[in-house]
Amino acid sequence: MIKNYFIIAWRNLSRHKTYSIINIAGLGIGLACAMLILLYVKDEVSFDNFHEKGDNIYRIVTQTKYDGAEHKDSNTGLLQGPRFAKNVPGIQTFVRVQSYTEDIKNGSEIQSQDLLYVDSSFFSVFTFPLLSGNAATCLTEPHSIVLSEDAAKKHFGTKEAVGKVVMIREGDKFVPFKVTAVAKRCPQNSSIKFDVLLPIKESVEDAQNNDNWFNFYLNTFVVLSPGANIQNVEKQMQKFYVQDAGVTFKQMIAKYGGRPDETMGSYHLQPYTDMHMNTELPAQNGLVNASNPIYSYILSGIALFVLLIACINFVNLTVARSVKRAKEIGIRKVVGGDRQQLIFQFLGESFLLCFIAFTLALLLVQLILPVFNDLANKALALSYLFDAKLIAIYLLLLLFTGLLAGFYPALVLSGYKPVETLYSRFNLTGKNYLQKSLVVLQFALASFLIIGTLTIYEQFNFLTKTDLGYDDSNIVVVNADVTHKDAAVFKAELLKNPNIIDVAPKNGGQWRTSAKISNDSSILFSYETIDESYFQTFKIPLVQGRNFSKAFPSDSTNSVLVNEAFVKKAGWKNPIGETVNFFYNNNEIYQVVGVVKDHHYLTLDQKIGPQLFTMKHDNWYGNFNIKIKPGSETESLKYIQKTFRQTLPLSPYSYIFKDDQRISDYESESKWKQIIFFGAVLTIFISCIGLFGLSVLSAEKRTKEIGIRKVLGASVHSVVTTLSKDFVKLVCMALVIAVPLAWLAAKLVILIAIATVSFQAVKAAIANPVKSLRTE
Amino acid sequence: MIKIKDLEKIYRTEEVETIALNKLSMEVKEGEFVAVMGPSGCGKSTLLNILGLLDDSDNGSFIFNGVEVGKFNERKRAEMRKHNIGFVFQSFNLIDELTVYENVELPLIYTGVKTADRKAKVEAVLDKMKIMHRRNHYPQQLSGGQQQRVAVARAVVNNPKLILADEPTGNLDSSNGNEVMELLTDLNEQGTTIIMVTHSEHDARFSHRIIRMLDGQTVTENILV
Repeated sequence: MIKNYFIIAWRNLSRHKTYSIINIAGLGIGLACAMLILLYVKDEVSFDNFHEKGDNIYRIVTQTKYDGAEHKDSNTGLLQGPRFAKNVPGIQTFVRVQSYTEDIKNGSEIQSQDLLYVDSSFFSVFTFPLLSGNAATCLTEPHSIVLSEDAAKKHFGTKEAVGKVVMIREGDKFVPFKVTAVAKRCPQNSSIKFDVLLPIKESVEDAQNNDNWFNFYLNTFVVLSPGANIQNVEKQMQKFYVQDAGVTFKQMIAKYGGRPDETMGSYHLQPYTDMHMNTELPAQNGLVNASNPIYSYILSGIALFVLLIACINFVNLTVARSVKRAKEIGIRKVVGGDRQQLIFQFLGESFLLCFIAFTLALLLVQLILPVFNDLANKALALSYLFDAKLIAIYLLLLLFTGLLAGFYPALVLSGYKPVETLYSRFNLTGKNYLQKSLVVLQFALASFLIIGTLTIYEQFNFLTKTDLGYDDSNIVVVNADVTHKDAAVFKAELLKNPNIIDVAPKNGGQWRTSAKISNDSSILFSYETIDESYFQTFKIPLVQGRNFSKAFPSDSTNSVLVNEAFVKKAGWKNPIGETVNFFYNNNEIYQVVGVVKDHHYLTLDQKIGPQLFTMKHDNWYGNFNIKIKPGSETESLKYIQKTFRQTLPLSPYSYIFKDDQRISDYESESKWKQIIFFGAVLTIFISCIGLFGLSVLSAEKRTKEIGIRKVLGASVHSVVTTLSKDFVKLVCMALVIAVPLAWLAAKLVILIAIATVSFQAVKAAIANPVKSLRTE
Repeated sequence: MIKIKDLEKIYRTEEVETIALNKLSMEVKEGEFVAVMGPSGCGKSTLLNILGLLDDSDNGSFIFNGVEVGKFNERKRAEMRKHNIGFVFQSFNLIDELTVYENVELPLIYTGVKTADRKAKVEAVLDKMKIMHRRNHYPQQLSGGQQQRVAVARAVVNNPKLILADEPTGNLDSSNGNEVMELLTDLNEQGTTIIMVTHSEHDARFSHRIIRMLDGQTVTENILV
């Protein structure tokens, strides 16, 4: 019997090629989308779960309350790890991970290298296999270094690097570090990805200084004893913290001031595998590839849409074609087939078709995977497909699709009465509400995605094209950590070239700190170290007062400028002449001499916060913004590089154009924009081939009607109108339904965006009331 | 074998009520060859469909082989059908996607006959119907007479007790028609009961008895043998 079903199914497929191609291509594309996205989602949820101790690894995080709101932070300081591990039962061991950039000398060339400072317990906590070297001892010596296989190859041309020496800058000179181990490349689904590991630097004084409880700049991980009760451990941690740091906290508040409702905050444990998709406490500060679960939702939504639309094609076409198969059904019933057998037969046909589509989908996935990887910022491989769980899920997907696509037609077809089908009394012209509503649903889904895409394009244009409040065209950024003295030499040399219009040094990274603006209130702000050229280089207008000036030598010791947001936050009516007290730094007092217009110094999705500008000599510069004449790029870049090598020989040279750098900030938005765009194109494509199939069938069914119309004098034009009218009506209906829904969805997305923005703002304001912290 | 009493069938649409069978009673004995005749719309086909358990009646009783089958559900009807009844239609009703062999094999598949037995039975019946040389052809590749021979082969492959034929020669020329009628006569001689709806007096003469119908009732019966 099954053989007979198979024969019939196969002959039906091969004889009705249009129908088969539409169904197989549609389902194939739908299944390929679903497979890719399953791969993506599986990778997301399995992120970081390859560590043997994974279930027992936690990150220490804090929660504080001030200004009436809870604030969470994933950063900790030097003391949390060792002190908790020593004093809280249930915590076995700890490892601190601090991200940093050091200059490495390779032959005569100096390169800046992102690396991690870690405790020697690193390899006992995390499962990162070594190619050579001893995992237990490789990080115990202060001048030891662990390289990844890639870094070893890059530096030495071979993975056999143990015992070799790497020169790393310490102050003004380069110091030898001995390679003690070479590690295998980190798995792609890892939040920790390192090329270079160094033993963490911690002096005896640092380890004993209780102030360091309140200095948050690194990630601390702990391993709990198997079976330890988290709540219990957290309670113990809190108890120990209050007892150990309570007095220090009071002293610091007394010394530096704080918010009225400021409390000591509390310590918590975040499961290691939770970091990757946690938007509140993400993998950051040296941990990479943090992801937003919303992408998984959007992708799953697209996959479901595409698959659903392909299934609708199947249902519609099968039912529409059933007139032709009605006779077969009647005969089968007459010769003894019962309804169940017919249902089984039609489901079988649906499964055969799905199986072919499934094979096609596998091929498609293999083809698309590299592009998808690039867009989704993943390194998924086809070998991922050969995973028992995924195979099970794919088989379920096949079963689900087969049932979804085949069940309704099977039920309908098997219900035909033989008397009606065999005596040609049968027709399926009726009202056909189901088919019509399915077409409407299909096009509503497709329009929904298209409108979504348009909204995202709009958003992206907004992000990349909005006036930022400053002009970053023709500005070359060169990084170098230098003193003001060295900076002045470099700047003077650069300005000797007529192609170079101006040079504005600035501190590296994004600094935040707080200062008192009166006796009882302080402000958290972005702290920028610049010189007098900065505002004119970026064309940021002055609103009040004056710019820094060489004419006032005291500017570098007691003057600051602020932005409008700062003035507003401080509540000043006449900002010029007001003072700012850097309470943590020996109560240094600075006077406001000017106010500049607000500009988007962070990405556009972040609010413009208070900003304070200083020329303070102690703060090093981290980069130079060099404004060059338009069209002089080649010559200018050559000159900049030459001058750099001559004046700052110890620093690694690299440059980037400021506007390129800004646009790269929106790279992930741009990629997601493309993914959603592809999704929309696919849904429309599949919907259209489905509609094409339906209209072909409808035209076939109406051959007689068309003939009669023509005999009675209808023109080709009017026949075409008659035939297309119904479908056009349906598509219009779909639009009418989709537009308001998409509008609502767009509103929702904007709401989420606003929530995200305010969350970012809160995050920026996270309390370290006492010391400044630097986040890259 | 067949006993029906006061059988009623009414087709209703929104505005019109058509009485297809009006308290019709009749009896057919095992081994009989009965022809049903009458003008279009008199209820012949409805009667045949009810007898073949393809349709149900609104009222009345239908006893088949001593069992009241009138109120059987779809499943029981299918069961009864596939073991006892073979059909031959005016328009042959072969499945276009199946070959001659596969079409004839179909009833055997549904009754669960094993593959080897199936082969023997199908080949035997194709031989008998003189269509063996066409076993791998598709219906569209055959003449009308050949198609109807295949249809008859399919109707008898299961050795049914009853064959219902609905104008079996209606689409055939006279020589092909005669061939089919002879096949049916042969079958009847071997013991199969046959009820045939026809418009053709010529064909009706092959039967033992002619039932004439008008407006859903039998009007006369002619016994020919």
